[in-house]
Parts: sequence; structure tokens; C-alpha cells
Amino acid sequence: MSGGAQYVVAAYAVIWFLLLAYVVVLGSRTARVGRRLEAITRVLDRREGRDGESGPPEDAA
Amino acid sequence: MRRRQLIALVRKDLRLELRTRETIVAMVLFAIVMMVILQFGFGTRDDDLTRFVGGLMWVTLAFTAVLGVGRSYVAEREQRVLDGLLVAPVPRMVMLAAKAIAILIYMVAVEVVVIPLVGIFFVQGPYWGAIGWIAITALLADICIALAGTLFSGLALFTRARDLILPVLFLPALVPVVIAAAGATHAVAGGPHDMSEWRGYCLFLLGYAILFALVSIATYDAVFDD
Amino acid sequence: MTPSLTTDGPVRLRGERAAIIWGTIATVLVVVSTIGVFLVAPEDADQGIIQRIFYFHVAIAIASLVAYGVACVAGILYLRTRDRRWDDACEASIRIGLLFSVLVVITGSIWAKASWGTWWVWTDPRLVTYLIVVLIYVAYFVLRSSAEDDRKMRYSAIYAIAGFASVPLSFYSVRVAESFVHPVVFTGGGANMPTSMLTWFIMAQAAMVALFIALLEVDLLGRRSERALHMLTIRLERG
Repeated sequence: MSGGAQYVVAAYAVIWFLLLAYVVVLGSRTARVGRRLEAITRVLDRREGRDGESGPPEDAA
Repeated sequence: MRRRQLIALVRKDLRLELRTRETIVAMVLFAIVMMVILQFGFGTRDDDLTRFVGGLMWVTLAFTAVLGVGRSYVAEREQRVLDGLLVAPVPRMVMLAAKAIAILIYMVAVEVVVIPLVGIFFVQGPYWGAIGWIAITALLADICIALAGTLFSGLALFTRARDLILPVLFLPALVPVVIAAAGATHAVAGGPHDMSEWRGYCLFLLGYAILFALVSIATYDAVFDD
Repeated sequence: MTPSLTTDGPVRLRGERAAIIWGTIATVLVVVSTIGVFLVAPEDADQGIIQRIFYFHVAIAIASLVAYGVACVAGILYLRTRDRRWDDACEASIRIGLLFSVLVVITGSIWAKASWGTWWVWTDPRLVTYLIVVLIYVAYFVLRSSAEDDRKMRYSAIYAIAGFASVPLSFYSVRVAESFVHPVVFTGGGANMPTSMLTWFIMAQAAMVALFIALLEVDLLGRRSERALHMLTIRLERG
């Protein structure tokens, strides 16, 4: 590598690193949405299960 | 009609200040302490700091301005003046102008003390001959500070931790003013007496003031929109 | 008949197609311009290989200004319509613009090290300006985090407008000071670039702007689904 090539590589590495970090942040938000969706699914499952057994009013729980 | 409202609002701020003398006295004291700190922070006591006169003056004044701007809405918030003002049929533009004029007067009052002190403390050179040019620079910079300060202190007014928010919002926007005002002061008092340089910086300050006036006029309605 | 969640309703979220299209464009342009910049563009006679940082450094710098401009327009539209989608667009663009500005400062610093031997040069207007710009827009998020709801959106819209006004002021103040202290340090090299370099510079610029738009679309999609989820949660909690 000729003089200064390591700096060019470093600059590109930094660009890619920060862009990927940003994508990871976006991904973590998607993951949060997914987690909350799963929680909602569990709540719905529980409700349906209880409704099927005896059907007590929900605020009794 | 509007002029009477404007004058009444400015007089309200000044009368409050004259009665309590809280803000301007604190600002002047702060500026003096700041200059002492700068002197000792910059090094030995026998160094000639003439070359740095612009920087010393405008660093001091910028931080003093943050202090004063932060105090400028205290009465409105704490004594619920704002509620009355917002109900009264005063155009927001008049409120903006009145607050900016009040800040401008505070700054001028502080500078009447600070600018001569800078000359006495730091400058061994042709400072007093250039005092008129420095005054014009200071007035232009004060207009910039007043316009930007009114807008940003309006934004910080109802936020949590507003005492921290205001410097964080205000100081980055003030960097161009400090650069230009320090440059202009340096040009006339810091060594080479270069009037074309001084003119360039002052034109820049004028442009800053015009741009921030436009932004304030365009957005000020939305600041107090509750 | 009960409606089926999988077939009823919009098949795609609004903006999904835009995100896919812009993502594709950005990917292609980034690949093409990377190849072009490294393998095709001629070596600069003065600076050698270091000059290749310039393509992306400047392209990202301009793209970040585009992002702040978009945020300013979104802020104006928010104040006009009070539609929170404009607030979303404003925040998302400032976030991407800030990311790009940080990249400008870091790559600029690396360039300074490579060509002048120090990591930081106060006489290089681009480095200094972008440092100020980063400070201005970090304050945007500080402001956002300390107000709520309607007030938060209104204040941040105003700040996005005022911030965008301070950007050219910072540019000019640094350059005015520069022109007096060091006459003609930096001429930019935009106009007197050879055509082959200019072509690849324009390509890199297009890639970075497309990247900004793609990131913005993805970000907005995420916000939209978060909001839909939030509404769903509220309805479920009501029973």
C-alpha cells in the first residue's frame, strides 16, 4: 500500500461502522415492536382461553 | 397602538429590573469574575494579552449574555405575567420585539462597564482610539444576541431543566456571533488596524441579525401557542 | 363473516414501496460509486491516494445539509398542519443528518491526519463548521427530551428551522474569519476537478443522498408501525 492508504481504509471503515451501528439501532426498534406484538398475542391467548372455560367478567381477575 | 404596547412592555421589564436590580448587577459581576478567570486561565500575569482582546471580550460577553437571557423571562414565568400577556390582545410580534429590546438594553448596560474594563485589564495599545468602532461592533452583536436569545429563551421557557437547556441551545447558535464580533474587535484594537476586515465582520453580524429576525418573526407565533 | 387479518387491510404499509425502491437505488449507487472511486477514478497528482477520502467525505457533508434542509421543511410543515407525521420526518432527518455530520467530522479528521499530520486543524473550515453543526443539532435532541407531546413537537419544529438558519451562518463566519487569517487556504476543488473525478464525485453524491432517503423511509416505516402498535395496545387495554 502506498503512503496514506491506511488512512483511506480507516475513513471507509469508520463510515461503514457508523452506518451499520445506525442500522442496528433501527433493528433494535423493530425488535421492540416484535416483542410487544408477542406480548399482545399472549394477552389475547389468555383472554380467549379464559372466555372459553367459564367466561367470568374480566375485571374480576 | 402597537408602538404604545411595545413601549409599555419594554417599560414593564425595565421597571422590574430597576426595582430589583437583580439581573444587570449579577451580569456585571459575572463578567468581571469571568475576566479574572480568563486572565489567570491564560497564564502568567505579566503577559501582554492585547492580541487576544477580541476573544477575551466576547467570550466574557457571550457567557454573560446567556446569564441575562436566561433571566429575561423569569417574571413572566414565576409571577404568571405571561398568562396575562397571552390573554391580552398583544400581537406576538410585539412581545418578541419588546423582549428583544429589553435584552438589548441589558447587554448595553453591561457593556458600558465591561468594554472599558477590558481595555484597562488586558490592552496595552491603541484601544481607546478605537472605542467607537468597538461600540458599533458591540451594538450589532447585541442585536444578534437579543434576537437569537429571545427565540431560544422562549423555547427553553417551559422545558424541564431549562437552565441547562438554554445554554445548550443558545451557545452553538452564538458561535458565529462570537467569531465575527471577536474578529471585528481584534481588527480595530488587537494590533493591526484593519478597517476592511472590521467592515467584513460587521456586515456578517448584520446578516446574522437579519436572518434571525426573519426566523423569529416566522416562528414566534408558534412559541406561545398554548 | 369475521375479517381476516392476513387478507384484509392494506397489503403494504404506506411508504413500504418507497423504502424498497430507495433502498435498492442506494445499494446500487453505493456499490457502483465505491468501485468507481477506488478502482476507476484517477489518482490525484498532489495528494495521491488520500484524495480518495474526498469523494465520500464531501458527498456525506452535502447529504447531511440536504437532511437538515428536509428537516427544516418538515418543521415548517409541522407548524402549518400540526400533523405529527411531519414531526416524525423532522426528527428522523435530523437524526440521519447528525449521523452524517459526525461522519464528516471523523473522516475530515482522518484526512487532516493523513495530509497535515495532526488529527485536528482549526484552520480547515469544513472540520470546524461541521463541529459547530454537530453541536447545534445535538441540542435538538436535548430539547426534545425535555418537553412533552405537543410542546415537544412544536419546539423541535421551531428549533429545526432556527438550526437550519444557523448552519449557513456558521459556514460563513468560519470562512470569513478564515479568509482574513489565512488567505486562500482551501479552494474546494469542485470547479477545477478533472471530468473523470467529477463524474465519480457526482456518483458518490447521488449514492449518499439516496442512502439518506432510504434510511429516512425505513425510519419512518418503523415509526408508523410503532404508532399502529401503540394504538392497538391502548384499544386492548380498554378491553
